[in-house]
Amino acid sequence: MLGRIPIFWKLSAAFLFIVFLVFAADFLLERVDDLAFKGNQRIVFIIVLAVALSSGSAWFFVIRFIKRPINRLAEGMNKLAEKEFDYRLEEDDKDEFGSLASSFNDMASMLSAFLVELKKTRDYLQSVLESSADIIITVNPSGHIQTINAGAEKALGYQRLEVIGQHIEKFFADPKDRDLAIAQLEYSDDVVNYETQFLTKEGKAKDVLLTISRLRNPTGEIIGTIGISKDITEEKRLQNQLIQSQRLAAIGEVFTGIQHSLKNMLNACKGGSYMVRTGLAKDDRKMLEEGWEIVQQGIERMTDMSTDMLKYVKEWKPRFDKVDLAQVLSEIYRVIKQTAKDKGVKIRLNISRELPSLICDARMIYSAVMDIVSNALDACLWKDYGEGEVPEVSIGAYKIPDRRELVIEVKDNGCGMTEEVKANIFTPFFSTKSKAGTGLGLSITSRMINIHNGRIDVESEPDRGTVFRIALPLDTISGNQERIDGKKSPDS
Amino acid sequence: MAKKVLIVDDDISTVKFLTAALEENGYEALQAYNGREGLEKIESENPDLVLLDVMMPKKTGFVLIKQLRRNEKYKDLPVIMLTGVAEVLEDLDAQSGDTHERPYDSLREVLRKTIKEMRDEGLLNPDMFIDKPIDPELIIAKIKELIGT
Repeated sequence: MLGRIPIFWKLSAAFLFIVFLVFAADFLLERVDDLAFKGNQRIVFIIVLAVALSSGSAWFFVIRFIKRPINRLAEGMNKLAEKEFDYRLEEDDKDEFGSLASSFNDMASMLSAFLVELKKTRDYLQSVLESSADIIITVNPSGHIQTINAGAEKALGYQRLEVIGQHIEKFFADPKDRDLAIAQLEYSDDVVNYETQFLTKEGKAKDVLLTISRLRNPTGEIIGTIGISKDITEEKRLQNQLIQSQRLAAIGEVFTGIQHSLKNMLNACKGGSYMVRTGLAKDDRKMLEEGWEIVQQGIERMTDMSTDMLKYVKEWKPRFDKVDLAQVLSEIYRVIKQTAKDKGVKIRLNISRELPSLICDARMIYSAVMDIVSNALDACLWKDYGEGEVPEVSIGAYKIPDRRELVIEVKDNGCGMTEEVKANIFTPFFSTKSKAGTGLGLSITSRMINIHNGRIDVESEPDRGTVFRIALPLDTISGNQERIDGKKSPDS
Repeated sequence: MAKKVLIVDDDISTVKFLTAALEENGYEALQAYNGREGLEKIESENPDLVLLDVMMPKKTGFVLIKQLRRNEKYKDLPVIMLTGVAEVLEDLDAQSGDTHERPYDSLREVLRKTIKEMRDEGLLNPDMFIDKPIDPELIIAKIKELIGT
């Protein structure tokens, strides 16, 4: 009942009650005037009574309305401190203590809700760390392990307790790797995908991709590092296997090509020597001479092949200069015109006017384009042309609008290529012309174009023809500035 | 009368030497330097046997032999192809299908396909291949076996 009234009113009511009691006592004493109390004695009694009543009720108030609620509040605080977040105070009192208790309860509820949320987040993060297959390790600033996840336990074969507190260095196959990574951390807050090796408990090396980040507390202070590593041992193994088989495949391709070329050269030598032998036996000088010529041709082709092989593997030092491409192409046209005429192939030159000059190695471009033009002529000879069809090769050059690029185009209406052949034309020793050439022509050509940061595109259709396009950048060749603008390099 | 053997090969050295070897053994040698010319000579000269190269301008040897085999008139004309296919045939025999691929052997892949196709069509007789470098004694022995002297 009393709990519903605020303390101020309780105190006021009590005061009025005491005043009333004192006046009541005074009135009664007046009635019993004739008894014991007279004059001053009555006044003294009344004062004593008032004081006694006041202090008695004050004591009652303190005990009943202040000390007890404070004790309860203190107990609640203690419970919270003991992590009993579900503890609540009674809110019966509607006085100041009642609202204090209610505030206390609200606070406790908020705190427990917050803690539930916090625990949820923590559990979630924990499970993320734990269920990650990656190796996650945190270390303190001195390099000692603080936490490791299940992924790390599994990958490295250690139990958590065995490694916590150990120095991280001993888990690197080469401790220098860690030093390098840490040195890198000095410049940036993380080191991403650093390839290194960890040691398992059994002492086996594991290839990992390590990403290290600095751990900072909310005030930005460094409290250690976290390393997340991906075990790439299996990928590495497969990758090595792939490289190995690709290498074998490349060697196989080259060997097949060499064997093919050799076979045809040997055929010439064998046939020629048969004729030499027969010519000698029969004293037939003409046959002997013819046979000897064939042997020599065989030797010549082997020499060519050996030269080309050397050319292919040697290091190339291009000499860049400002070059008028039209001039280079005109020279090719001049040289090839007669050969084409002899073979019945019509040849044309289409160079667009105002072709900008180009920075390139003129000899390489000459040789690359010449190789492609010769192939185009061969393609024409290989095709069985129908009525009214004329074998034709055209050499052209133009600049692509809006791009700092020149394109050289060699087009023929010859035999064309199947997809299989097209896919292999830049493979060393791949050749469709078994009796001529070394199978290295286009491989060398494509290397020359690569040196110029250019590209070669090929379009071809069997029996319809082929278009080769060489795109060359006008000015993207870097590192050769001193040789540009006509200044010859020392070795030219 | 001497038996006629037509050599179809774009390599002049091979043609020259085969001519010498044939004439040495009493055959009449005829020459063609590409597939189209080969077909023309077969039609005009009616040879007893053809030595046929594979990689040639204007009709490859395989295209030509397919044409011959599908033609009633020439389907039994003896032909020796101047290329090595023993290995390819072995490969084909060893496989149940053509699923197995040797990635590094793209050069021979085309050849394999053609040979398989021909074999499936019944156009191919493994005896009719001689690999380069050609051994003169071997090829003459083969010719003798096929058409006599």
